Amino acid sequence: MASEKEVKDVYGDYSTLTVPPAELKSTLNLFMVYMGVLAVIAAIFAGSGLATMYDVGTMLTVAFVGNVVLGVFGALTAYPGGVTRANTYMLLRYPLGRVGAMIGGLIIAGISCGLLWFAVETWLFGLTTSLIFPDYWIMSIAAASIWGGLLMMTTAYIGYKGIGVLSYVTVPFWYVLCVIGLFSALDHTGISFTAMWALGPEKKAPFGVGITYVVGLYAAGCVITSDVSRYGVKRWSGSLAWAIHVILFMTILLFIGGVMTLATGSPNVIVAMASIGLGAGALLLAILGQWTTNDNNLWSGSLSFVNVFPVFKRRTWVLILGVIGTIIAGVWAGLYGMSLDPFITFGVLLGCFVPPVGGVLVADFYIFRRYVLGIRDPAQRYKFGPGTKYGVINVPGLIGLIVGGIVGWLTTLPQYSYGIPALNAIFVSAILYLLLIVPMHKAGVKYEVGTWMERETGF
Amino acid sequence: MEAEVAKFRKEAQVSLLTMLILGLITLILAPLTGHYRGFYLCLSLGLIIVIASGVYLPIVRVKKVQNVKELAVPTMQSLWVSTSMGVGYVVTSLATYFKIVLPIAAVLFIIGWVMLLLGLYKLISISKRVGVPLAV
Repeated sequence: MASEKEVKDVYGDYSTLTVPPAELKSTLNLFMVYMGVLAVIAAIFAGSGLATMYDVGTMLTVAFVGNVVLGVFGALTAYPGGVTRANTYMLLRYPLGRVGAMIGGLIIAGISCGLLWFAVETWLFGLTTSLIFPDYWIMSIAAASIWGGLLMMTTAYIGYKGIGVLSYVTVPFWYVLCVIGLFSALDHTGISFTAMWALGPEKKAPFGVGITYVVGLYAAGCVITSDVSRYGVKRWSGSLAWAIHVILFMTILLFIGGVMTLATGSPNVIVAMASIGLGAGALLLAILGQWTTNDNNLWSGSLSFVNVFPVFKRRTWVLILGVIGTIIAGVWAGLYGMSLDPFITFGVLLGCFVPPVGGVLVADFYIFRRYVLGIRDPAQRYKFGPGTKYGVINVPGLIGLIVGGIVGWLTTLPQYSYGIPALNAIFVSAILYLLLIVPMHKAGVKYEVGTWMERETGF
Repeated sequence: MEAEVAKFRKEAQVSLLTMLILGLITLILAPLTGHYRGFYLCLSLGLIIVIASGVYLPIVRVKKVQNVKELAVPTMQSLWVSTSMGVGYVVTSLATYFKIVLPIAAVLFIIGWVMLLLGLYKLISISKRVGVPLAV
């Protein structure tokens, strides 16, 4: 078996290889990249959603509790990446099998992030800029979607380094601008800081509804934390960076979005900011926010596609996915004004299958391999490199993923509504996986179908 | 190696000191903005710059290091914050909402650009010379 150091990174950004020690980054670097992903106007809009359910105090509590759930789950999924230096789609080769990992990778990142959400976020960017500056053709939905999509493609094309640099220059100011926006909204409407706590709808939603809402916002993001955490200089770098950024800063963003909505009465807080004279700031909030998030969507999508279709390098996949997404946003929706609802509906459906991927991964890494196979050292639980053999399909993993996803989807429907759909999917997939794989392993029944040997390129 | 470290230490101190002085100038300009909104804007952005530079400056000044890279990391971390806040001044100083009187707004706008360009230049130059990634 050749050592990892001798293997050439054919596809770029270690799409199919583990990250070598020379490329590892500080915990701060990982934190800034995660913060860049979080810095998106959709996060502020999400706060607007909470504002329709609760008063400010309850909203803050709900956001915090929901984000603690996300912080813990994301930290758990980030750790295997930090230990093995492998991205999400490589990690999934164990709990889902080599082909199962391809399917899982395409669901969670390839199609969801790289295509659908990239297109939707690009369109949202075009929509927001057109609302801020309605009189300029360059800011029309179609034009802004196209130049916005191209901007987002540049850093995704450069890769992790490009994403990191953009996050460093954007993140500190972006969050300061959010705080400025909050106080501007209060000041402009004449609401004092004390009076702010009394804002809220007449009828409050149950506590659990809000937590469900918050967890659902970012459950998918939790599953692909290893794409970034694998660069961490310490095993725990990614887990720590993830937990802090979600628990602290996502709570703050939701809070800011919620308060701004309650104060201004406008669900589109960016437009509200522009209307009170923060024009360039509002525009920059939109541009930089979408850019730092959507380049990550595209980047993760390209990593996933390389792990399924290695005919192109990662950068070529960025261009292919980026151009398709930009055309959907700029031409389909922007120019012809056609609805993105079919894409959003499909994205939401696929999104139901994202949390169970994380559920199966966590169950396999932390329970099956640790306590059933008895592998104490986390670094020994998953091995990668040319010559490594994987099952083609891990049957319990794939069953857990499908059943968990269906349960997650069913519980989003009003007639079957129960608990938090994303968490239902995670728990069902994890428990089902263990219920199947443990007895099969103990009884000596083969739970993996076929054998796939890793090639020199890592594919 | 020691000479190299000493030379870099001096350069790093000058960079951070420049940012600190620019941050202090914006704080001094805060009461002259003509409106409480402009005052609070300068206070928030200026304080972040002063704190980020002020905290890191003594670190860069006294930290015992084996090589230049160990000094480059804190220097670049501080420069990133100041550079990002420079973007803040560029974007907000002329916004009508803050009602900053034009001469002061123009000065803040220029300071913002200086911080942005100087910060980026220093970050790229240090990164290339020392071999530390830009996103440190």
